[in-house]
Amino acid sequence: MPKLTRRRLLCATAPLAAAPLGVTLAFGREAEAAGHDHAGHGGTATRSTAAAGHAAMIGDGAPAVGGPNDLDALLHPPPALPHRPGRVREYTLVARDEELEIAPGVFFPAWTYNGTVPGPVIRATEDDVLRVRFANAGAHPHTIHFHGIHPTNMDGVFEIVGPGEDFTYEFPARPAGFHVYHCHSTPLKKHIHKGLYGAFIIDPKVPRAPARELVMVMNGYDTDGDGENNFYTVNGRTFYYARYPIRVRRGELVRVYLANLTEFDLINSFHLHADFFRYQPTGTGEHWEYTDTVMQCQGQRGVLEVRFAHAGTFMFHAHQSEFTELGWMGYFQVEEP
Amino acid sequence: MTAASAETARGLAWRLWALVPLVGLALAVAVVVSVGDRVVELVGGTAPPADEFDVRRVELRPGEVRVLVRNPQRDDLTIATVTVDDAIVPYTLDGPATLGRLRSSTIVVPYDWVPGDPLAVGVTSSTGIQTTHEIAAAVQTPEPGARGVLGYGLIGLLVGVVPVALGLLWLPSLRRASPAWIAAFMALTAGLLTFLGVEALFEALALQAGLPPAFGGPGLVLLGVAASALGMTFLAARLSRGRVGLSGLALALLVAIGIGVHNLGEGLAIGTSFATGEIQLGAFLVIGFMVHNVTEGLGIAAPATRARVRLWQLAGLALVAGAPAILGTWIGGYGSSDLLTPVFFALAAGAALQVVVEVARHVARIAPGGLRSGWAVGGYLAGIAAMWATGLLVG
Repeated sequence: MPKLTRRRLLCATAPLAAAPLGVTLAFGREAEAAGHDHAGHGGTATRSTAAAGHAAMIGDGAPAVGGPNDLDALLHPPPALPHRPGRVREYTLVARDEELEIAPGVFFPAWTYNGTVPGPVIRATEDDVLRVRFANAGAHPHTIHFHGIHPTNMDGVFEIVGPGEDFTYEFPARPAGFHVYHCHSTPLKKHIHKGLYGAFIIDPKVPRAPARELVMVMNGYDTDGDGENNFYTVNGRTFYYARYPIRVRRGELVRVYLANLTEFDLINSFHLHADFFRYQPTGTGEHWEYTDTVMQCQGQRGVLEVRFAHAGTFMFHAHQSEFTELGWMGYFQVEEP
Repeated sequence: MTAASAETARGLAWRLWALVPLVGLALAVAVVVSVGDRVVELVGGTAPPADEFDVRRVELRPGEVRVLVRNPQRDDLTIATVTVDDAIVPYTLDGPATLGRLRSSTIVVPYDWVPGDPLAVGVTSSTGIQTTHEIAAAVQTPEPGARGVLGYGLIGLLVGVVPVALGLLWLPSLRRASPAWIAAFMALTAGLLTFLGVEALFEALALQAGLPPAFGGPGLVLLGVAASALGMTFLAARLSRGRVGLSGLALALLVAIGIGVHNLGEGLAIGTSFATGEIQLGAFLVIGFMVHNVTEGLGIAAPATRARVRLWQLAGLALVAGAPAILGTWIGGYGSSDLLTPVFFALAAGAALQVVVEVARHVARIAPGGLRSGWAVGGYLAGIAAMWATGLLVG
């Protein structure tokens, strides 16, 4: 019985292995290769491995895919332009079928705009003319349905764009606020959860105060097709901002454009640790809420602003614990100015 | 060339012809391999692999969950993410991350599980397919150690050796019974062996259903049944030394072997179920198995009534029939026996049913009125009824 012998051996060596485990504690193959020094990230030698919990979920210990700047284009929106009515803002979106690594070693056969989930951030100033050329290089008919005020023939509902076809959406950008866009082909649920969605900012005539601006699109992935999400993320990859915390400075204005495009679950949420922010639903109107937790149903979005009072590591995550532990968690690394 | 040598050459040629189908098959296989899936693609697209893991065993240690998973499919399967109760958890692997066909790895998760609470372990493949294994109530898996080995040994002793030995103590009383009563007790032996055989067969079939189809399904069980039945027939022939029918000590030994194989399977099942928290192995269950198995001792004693049996021979019979339960609890308690258990139950079914035939032959010879007599029929039914009734204690 070699198996029995090996088990005994393993068991006998377990107490010896316990101390180094705090260091080599790994998320699969990738982390096994890269997991040699995260003692500096908060794991102490005396902490029991099983109780390490969130302490292990930072830096190299967090199970996220890719390098530190991979998601910059999704996190940092293009700059706001001053109000100039009639200016044309052009974008090109191409629907492509892409296999994306959303969690270490887990590949999701996504339908994307321009190869990422969520799609690119589209930004215009109110009264710009938005001209979005849409080419469908995917295998299924798609559209782009923008939220906002526009003629219904530009609504992405009736003009179905077949594979190999293209269509140009053109309409004035209004109202000012923070919106979303997504595919509106049927079956809608599938076309959205496969990844065809993105953030859409319309800047007001009177510009917002200068700030460090960030975009976060909350989503989920049902990787085994049972109608329930297996993973949750912001900007498409599990625990990405836990592995690469977002660096900001204490006291500076941080503005987050937050949208929810999670399919299957009724709501998603955002909770900031150790500070409060003000929140403007849909990025419109004069009403701001002062809180540390907001909730959004699918398609809801808003603008939140915070000036961190302290330096340090600030966790943010969905306040549905399940979503947090399935990938929707990250940190702000707030540094002294 | 003589006519005889020509005849020999022709005979050799026709024997060599037997290789032709094999060579033809090899060529046909080579052709299919070279064209690959293109033949199948003429019919249509093939479905992607299921990419589900076979969770063989989940062990709960203090601050740790160990999950033994196997790839049950033809295509490779890669462990990508592990969850416990719907939370992604860090893990290490004892074995490869990418598993070839029927290969296994152990996933080790540092985790503070809560005793008594349900626990769901999820293993997600690189294609995002999640296999979930649920534990109804978390209980610490016994660790290999002197105490545990002793404990399992005692449990095996109590449910295996002790009741069989006690049952054998009926031997002096049986010796004073009339030939008709002895025939009835022999028929009772046949009845209880039939019960054990049928029970083992169903157990084997139920357990193989949980195995990957690559292990052969019911065919595996059939193979086990046939192998042990024929093995026992061979053994019976050796023991009878050419005489027709077995009797006395030889028949008792055969019965003891049949029961012993069954008790090995039973021990495996007890050890596995206990280690993985599937049953509460309380004192009640141990008592149940003891009462259930005491009839087995009676069954071994019955054929030996007319033979001269020494004490060491009786002890040997008790060990042959009962000691495999100890071995079974050890293997089941500390190892993964998902394949072993159905195989041993299949072997037990074949052995038990073959011994029924041997015992029936014996009863036919000694029962007044043969197999159709009230002694034989009544004894046989009583044997089944006794096993059923005492079996209620372990159900």
